[in-house]
Amino acid sequence: MEALKATGLSKRYVWSGGSNQALKEVTLSVPTGSILGLIGRNGAGKTTFLRIASTSLLPTDGSMQILGHDVVDDSVAVRERIAVIPQESRPFYWMNPRELIYYFLTMRGHTKADARTRADEALAELGLTEYAGTLVSRLSGGLRRRAMVAMVMASDAEMVFLDEPTTGLDPLARRSVWEAIRKAAKANRTIFLTTHYLDEADALSNRIAILEKGKLLAEGPREAITAKVKHPYRVVVSDGFSRSELERYGEPIWLENRWLLLTGEREAREISKMALERGAKLSLAPVSLEDIFMQIVGKDISVDEAEADEGA
Amino acid sequence: MKERKLPSVWAIVSMNGFLPLRRQPLFLINTLTSPFSFLFLLFIVGGAAAIPYGVAGGLVLTILSIGTSLQGDMTHYKTDLKFQEMVVASPVKAGTYVTGMALSEFVFSIPGMTVFVVLSFVYGHYIFLGGLVVAAALVLLWIFATALGFTLATYLADVRETFMIAPILSIALTVVPPVYYPVDRIWAPLRPLAYLSPTTWAANLVQGALGLSPTPLTLAQGLLDGAVLLLFAIVLFLIAWKKAQWRER
Ligand SMILES: Nc1ncnc2c1ncn2[C@@H]1O[C@H](COP(=O)(O)OP(=O)(O)OP(=O)(O)O)[C@@H](O)[C@H]1O
Ligand SMILES: [Mg+2]
Repeated sequence: MEALKATGLSKRYVWSGGSNQALKEVTLSVPTGSILGLIGRNGAGKTTFLRIASTSLLPTDGSMQILGHDVVDDSVAVRERIAVIPQESRPFYWMNPRELIYYFLTMRGHTKADARTRADEALAELGLTEYAGTLVSRLSGGLRRRAMVAMVMASDAEMVFLDEPTTGLDPLARRSVWEAIRKAAKANRTIFLTTHYLDEADALSNRIAILEKGKLLAEGPREAITAKVKHPYRVVVSDGFSRSELERYGEPIWLENRWLLLTGEREAREISKMALERGAKLSLAPVSLEDIFMQIVGKDISVDEAEADEGA
Repeated sequence: MKERKLPSVWAIVSMNGFLPLRRQPLFLINTLTSPFSFLFLLFIVGGAAAIPYGVAGGLVLTILSIGTSLQGDMTHYKTDLKFQEMVVASPVKAGTYVTGMALSEFVFSIPGMTVFVVLSFVYGHYIFLGGLVVAAALVLLWIFATALGFTLATYLADVRETFMIAPILSIALTVVPPVYYPVDRIWAPLRPLAYLSPTTWAANLVQGALGLSPTPLTLAQGLLDGAVLLLFAIVLFLIAWKKAQWRER
């Protein structure tokens, strides 16, 4: 079954004196048990999409089903099956991680005993056992974020929405969050996450969706998206090549002391042969998600919408 | 998972009431400050004779403050912590969340209620069944205050706005209307205006039950007060039901 199915989904924010089309006819399906990474620049519409899916925002047009239930007409059934960490959400500072999880679960309907067991498991899974009794007000930002992840992961939600779950986490903490997410997906839960870290989306998710200015530009398994781009290879060569020479194969970019070139398979082979003959240093790899994003969106993910529009 | 009403409410009361209290007991004193300031002023200006009115007013104000705290906390949880969004995306229904929140605000007003109830026995002259009358008036006012707080919270965009709303509410609903004084102190032509505030009706009941009104509380008057108060509670409840936004548009 499809865990999420959006059809022609649009959202226009309207306020007195203005409006903003945040989503434009997005059609997307996510199979059960997958980890979908929704990526896009600031203001692309990720949070808007996620909030409609998690039933806290109404769409303007189109429809969306979560686990077979309509988010507008059958929101009660949807809400019984999901959990969310909103972007920039924070835990209560007067509670400790164990209490946060325990009360969140009993509030959702878990029995006390079940809530206790699940709390301990989630704490251990996210490396929080040692902080289980420490008040949130004394925890670092990354530990607070992990406590939030533990809250929703400990629940029995079949589908979990995470809006930038790892922002502000150190690499080790990020990995513990990744582990928890992977484990949840193995138990056939569906994870829907947004992120600005493309390496994270790449490492974690088995499906990628790219939003740009409210439009869905690409969606599917990573390999399918890679296959779609014009230049599936990333070539980096040191000196020994001139710009004009490389321009025959693509658009070379000068990075301080070497050239970066995204190109096709045949071209990549030719360049490596030339590099070998000249004794120039070369590295050849499939494109990273960042390169794919560049090619599909036409802009780097770190350029936000406002800046890009000013530049245009 | 399905919602289990009582445990859900209990969890919310614990999160928002008992736990913060346990970690910061000063919260207990906080709700006592306003009613006691008024009591003190009344005593200084009006002497011992004014104390019963200060006590009746204290009961009303303490209950009403549940609404003001509620709009503050709910706005904070919605806009800053994004906790409300986590509740929306869960089996917990809006009514359960609001009930839990309103009960947890009640937890904070327990000391105030206790003190003023005790004072009401010391300084009031309860009429027959007066205790029941007071309880009914306060429960109806509590429903009104809760619906008001919830509705306001869904429209406020930031906690700073709740700081602005709180004093306005308190002046419009407790300082100006005859909550701390009998309604006949108001110049007769202006008196009908006082009846626009539900607190006027509640205070009339409380004052009457404590034997304070210049004219004793008759059964007819009591029923009228109660009915109007109930109407206020129902209307506000319906507004909350229809207009308050659990899911954003
Ligand atoms: N409540 C709102 N009212 C009006 N416009 C809004 C509102 N929320 C978001 N928008 C607008 O909708 C667009 C999409 O915003 P959204 O928050 O969904 O983006 P995002 O991809 O999550 O961005 P970020 O990476 O910065 O979190 C933006 O142009 C934003 O300004
Ligand atoms: Mg966002």
